[in-house]
Amino acid sequence: MIKKRVSSTFLFFLVFLFFSGDAYPASLKIQCSDCHDSERFKAEFKNSVHGNTGCTSCHKNFESLDKHIISKEKPALISCGTCHSEIEKQYRNSFHSLYEDFKCYDCHHDIHTLKPEKEHFKIAVAKNCTKCHTNDEYALSGHGAAVMKGNKDSATCSDCHGLHDTKAYHTSGEFYLLEAREFYNKTCKACHSNKEMMERNSISPYAVKYYEETYHGKVQDLGYPTSVAGCADCHTNHNILPKSNPASTIHSKNLTQNCGKCHSGIHPRFAEYKAHPDYRDKKRYPQLYLSFLLMAGLLLVTFVFFWTHTLLWWRKVYWERHQMEEMGIKLESPFTHKEGIQRIKRFSIIDRIMHVLLIISFFGLVITGFPLKYHSTPWAGAIIRALGGAHNAGLYHRIAALILIGLFLYTLWRCFRFAFPRGFRKEGWRGSFARIFGPHSLMPNAQDWHQFKAMVKWFFGKGKPPTFGRWTYWEKFDFLAVFWGMIAIGGSGVTLWAPELASYVYPGWVLNIASIVHSEEALLAALFIFTVHFFNTHLIPSKFPMDTIIFTGSYKLEELWRFRTPEYERLVKEGKLEGLKVKHPSITLKIISSMFGHASLWIGLLFTLILLWTFFFA
Amino acid sequence: MGLMMSTFHQKRIGKAAAVVMLFILPFFFSCSATPTQEGGQSTIDPAMVISFMKEKNAAVIDTMSYLECMDHRIPGSHCIALEEVDMKLSSSFPDKSRPLIFYCESDRCPRAGLAYKKAKLLGYESIYVLEDGLVAWKRAGYEVETIQRVKRAPVISIKSTRLEAFKKEKKDLFILDIRPEDAFKENHIDDARNIPFYLLHKRLKEIPKHGPVFVIDENGKRSFLACCYLINNGVKDVTRLFGGMEALVRQKTDKG
Repeated sequence: MIKKRVSSTFLFFLVFLFFSGDAYPASLKIQCSDCHDSERFKAEFKNSVHGNTGCTSCHKNFESLDKHIISKEKPALISCGTCHSEIEKQYRNSFHSLYEDFKCYDCHHDIHTLKPEKEHFKIAVAKNCTKCHTNDEYALSGHGAAVMKGNKDSATCSDCHGLHDTKAYHTSGEFYLLEAREFYNKTCKACHSNKEMMERNSISPYAVKYYEETYHGKVQDLGYPTSVAGCADCHTNHNILPKSNPASTIHSKNLTQNCGKCHSGIHPRFAEYKAHPDYRDKKRYPQLYLSFLLMAGLLLVTFVFFWTHTLLWWRKVYWERHQMEEMGIKLESPFTHKEGIQRIKRFSIIDRIMHVLLIISFFGLVITGFPLKYHSTPWAGAIIRALGGAHNAGLYHRIAALILIGLFLYTLWRCFRFAFPRGFRKEGWRGSFARIFGPHSLMPNAQDWHQFKAMVKWFFGKGKPPTFGRWTYWEKFDFLAVFWGMIAIGGSGVTLWAPELASYVYPGWVLNIASIVHSEEALLAALFIFTVHFFNTHLIPSKFPMDTIIFTGSYKLEELWRFRTPEYERLVKEGKLEGLKVKHPSITLKIISSMFGHASLWIGLLFTLILLWTFFFA
Repeated sequence: MGLMMSTFHQKRIGKAAAVVMLFILPFFFSCSATPTQEGGQSTIDPAMVISFMKEKNAAVIDTMSYLECMDHRIPGSHCIALEEVDMKLSSSFPDKSRPLIFYCESDRCPRAGLAYKKAKLLGYESIYVLEDGLVAWKRAGYEVETIQRVKRAPVISIKSTRLEAFKKEKKDLFILDIRPEDAFKENHIDDARNIPFYLLHKRLKEIPKHGPVFVIDENGKRSFLACCYLINNGVKDVTRLFGGMEALVRQKTDKG
């Protein structure tokens, strides 16, 4: 009887609800949990992260409860982005959204029972990601193991890949290589250059800095990370272990194989290359420290000596000129004007062609090489882009190097022919010795020392300026410096060109030394040419703005007499002067010489300014 | 003489101007919204898809499998998998002059391009391909439509380097290759069984529910959804190959 009454009351209630439509009296307000009464929607939801929001905060556009009760209407889900707009914005371009069409609740499951994360956030992320992504490598890695132990600095998945903005650089395919490398290199560097973070974890905070001083680091910093080894190439993506661990790719027994991934056909000693050394650390890297010290010393001594010499010379010449102008003194000459302007041959056509090729190759090497040395400057990137990228720049650098090597070898041959014109057997040592130290030779001798002393005295007003033979002592230095330069810069350059082959000759750390020598010697050569050589040859007041003799091949008789008196007297005595008289250079040759010379001169001076700006402001 | 020279110069200047214009004009035209020819096919961007749908009554066709298409697609798309184009296209769209727009799941998927070629052979007059597929659509900020979602589930992926060890670990492993038949014929791993993704929902019964199943796709981008579908249908132990067959081939080539 009671049962009947209860069921009829319930029926009446339903009928009432059915006919009453949407017009429920206030007293009959229905809670969602009245029907959705499982634990999930009651207690668990209240304790969830969204517990303080009502059901209709997310389940909106609800039109008719009646229809909902009889399952005819399902409330629409709002986008999580309505509240979490920033996250949604990031997520829309993430890999999971673009490629796998994941929704928020696919990871944040179950949304109704989601509790605030009590666990260490990094551990929670690692656990959640590895539900799908195998953690075989990551869990074993230094980062993963440290995260699991509660280290809050160590990288969890999201630290490298992003949390809601996981990049679309899928590592399974070889696509987006450039973007992926740039992104991941930056990610590694961000933490590993954080001094505080690294020091509290007993890791060197300078690994990134020193890596960027290596060839690999410089090329990637220029914007071409796919051409060289980035962080993950040696340390792997996930299985990143300290080198003391035998399973690490950088453990000594695995290093040869590791380097061999890119450098095929290497000798095991190739792996002795230091990937990010501090060459200022004399305890750990004594060879590199010594090399750097020697190169720095060489630069210092060379420039202190020659810049002082140049400045004193410039001051003296300028001062004498000023005095002569002031007193109205004209230089006397034994020649009539017509005799004085007679051209005398100084350089053969081969000398001139060689010098033009030398200029082209030298500028080619400087323009393609210096952007690598000063990779982080804006001009470096601009030059490399203009050249069509790091690969092209490297190609041009090698072509220019081949020209220079060719010139050097030909010069060696010419030196040999100079010493032994009729061949080594016929000539013998005696004749060649006299030639090597004779007036035509570029070999320094006692005369040069006397001329240098006289020159210094003249700088300080204690004597007359010396007169010179066929070659002055600074011209001899310019010539012989190329021999040292070619050994230092050419030897190191060839080594760096074929590092794999080089490993059969010497250990990998020699590559580090080669990098230092190549780089510093290049700076020495470029600055020496653009300052000392340019001044001595072109910018000296008597020749300003430039002397085109190396292109035209001849100079005036009066110049020969005034500046190289002993040479003039020798030529007259030996009756060779007449044979050296040549025609005045043609207008075409003069224009070409002037244009090429000026272009080279001004490019060199501009480059010097750029370098000075780089030293002091970049 | 002076007059002759000036006429001569004027002619040369005129010629030079014509040559310059010939180079410049294409740049003006390239700015307007017209399909671009890429590899012999007309590619369009998401905004053009919408305008072609509205103005030209273009049919938008998802060339992925039925399951993928029902899971997420451009609103109003038709689901005709690449493998079904020959069979279904003519009956679904008898009017050969109606514009067709094919698209793929991702920017690295060749299916839309292949469908384009098939439609061309079938005699359709205006065919387009959405460049970079659904990825471009989503990147442009447009929503996708879900008809029947495959509930996502955690699926572990195995890298190709671990494959051999994994095969030894799992006894009675059912290796399911969901690539198209022709790709499977070209190369597949030993003991693999080919059920192309577009037939997966029809041939579900062939897959053991209680044994371990290992899914291989083209490039690792489709196997996840296939695995989720299997899990939703009661397959207990599902794993997939990271990077798909492409990664496996690449690893073998690198080794070789």
